[in-house]
Amino acid sequence: MHDSSRNQTEQYCPICRRKLRPEARFCISCGRAIDISTDAPAPHELKQSGSSFKSHWKEIKQIGCLFGLLLSSSFVLGMIGRFVSPPWPQTIASGADALIVFVFAGFRYREILPLLDWPKLSMRSVLELVALALAFIILLNLYFTLIKSAGVPIVHIASTYSNAGWHVGIMLILVSVMPAIIEELAFRGVIQSTFEHIFDKRDALLIQAALFSVLHLSPIVFPSHFLMGLCFGYMRLRTKCLYPSMALHATWNALVLFKELNLL
Amino acid sequence: MKLMTWEVDDANIVNLKIGGFGKNSLTVNGMEVPGRLRLRKKSEFPFELSDGRNANILINPRFASRRVIELRVDGQLMVESGEGPFLCDSCGTTVKPNDRFCGVCGHAMPPAEHYVHRRHIKEATTAITVLAVLFLFGGVVMFFITKSHVADALIRLNGLNPNEIFPKSINGVTYTVAVLREQLIWEPWSILIQNSILAAIMAGLAFWGKRSPLAAVLIATAIYAVVIVTHAIINPQSIGQGVFMKIIIIACLIRGIKSALALNTADA
Repeated sequence: MHDSSRNQTEQYCPICRRKLRPEARFCISCGRAIDISTDAPAPHELKQSGSSFKSHWKEIKQIGCLFGLLLSSSFVLGMIGRFVSPPWPQTIASGADALIVFVFAGFRYREILPLLDWPKLSMRSVLELVALALAFIILLNLYFTLIKSAGVPIVHIASTYSNAGWHVGIMLILVSVMPAIIEELAFRGVIQSTFEHIFDKRDALLIQAALFSVLHLSPIVFPSHFLMGLCFGYMRLRTKCLYPSMALHATWNALVLFKELNLL
Repeated sequence: MKLMTWEVDDANIVNLKIGGFGKNSLTVNGMEVPGRLRLRKKSEFPFELSDGRNANILINPRFASRRVIELRVDGQLMVESGEGPFLCDSCGTTVKPNDRFCGVCGHAMPPAEHYVHRRHIKEATTAITVLAVLFLFGGVVMFFITKSHVADALIRLNGLNPNEIFPKSINGVTYTVAVLREQLIWEPWSILIQNSILAAIMAGLAFWGKRSPLAAVLIATAIYAVVIVTHAIINPQSIGQGVFMKIIIIACLIRGIKSALALNTADA
């Protein structure tokens, strides 16, 4: 009885007065249930959280700026390197990188400062971190041995400094300590904490590792440096502190340096 | 000629025919709307629907992309019928483009902006796939080109003593002839391997982009920027090569990031 009457006469929605489609069980413009016997869902409004989009877009742009500046610093280094003999361009570029990263760390000091507190770690987690570091060093060594035996030429950082007659101590600071501090501050500090607002922790870890590996400008080290990024990022997640990853980063760089100088 | 259709509701269908030489016509339910529509510049074209509601066609030329033509009724964006298919997320029924709720189950349909965002994300994912193909193709082509160059160079090096230092320095570094030979032989393979790694990463990202588009497009943009800069460091003239395609791809990727972010924040 009910159905036949609906098919014969035009029906209008009781709420918004729009014409209804013949077989419709819900109003297409306000979501009101037409058949009274079905439970009427509350006509819910569609909401777009515009403010969070704006703040997240601003954060993405900020990270884009940081990444772009670091990238252009490498570009300028490459350009100067054509005319000025190494290692001066490298030294100036790492100084510029440091300046850029400190400025951006300043922008996000609220997230960075807690990461610079001394961590309170239990004996167990310290042992775990050391085991992770050892596994990391062995795995990376394996990768680079594999690459070397395949005959891929790898750029030697140390030779540029030692050819110019620079002291080992200065080399150690420029190759091991400075990059460790700057890169950890930039990738595990600024980038990872910013992306944790936008993504979940796992995706933030993956993205910062990807950006970290990509910024080394050589596809051959993408896999190894992606692994590095993951390892450092995981350490930073576990300890909520930048020092362990800085220490491991500096150790790794120093190992590479000593190997190139045949000190090991 | 291009035809755009907006099914505003059951009683109003707006058609925009874009012909050559500025012959454009706008019809509401088959009746032509008088007046001239200009598509070249940023402009608006207000008219009335059959029930007297205010409608407005907005033309927005956009950087490095096709112009955006949108229809707004009472200030609300309408979905163009070409953005479909329009399926209810909850029950899978096909609905009309501008239904705000599903007529069968009452589920709320996404606002019109969502369809535009989804298209942007799809375009960005396509751009990543295109990059993967380009890297692979370019890698293979460059491999053979470099190989023939290297063969010529090796012939010229043949006359020299392996322990001699090559007279010209390359990027500020001097090499002995033997080392130079080794590097030359490796060169084409290095190009092939590097491009294959890039192609594989891009293909992986295009695949991952279906699950988490924001992260995938973000990483792809970073990688593409790095590739452009690396090429520029090796050869500064390379910035100019294919500059239009580069700009279009980057614009596409950045739009994808923005749209993916908009969808992410709307879902939350």
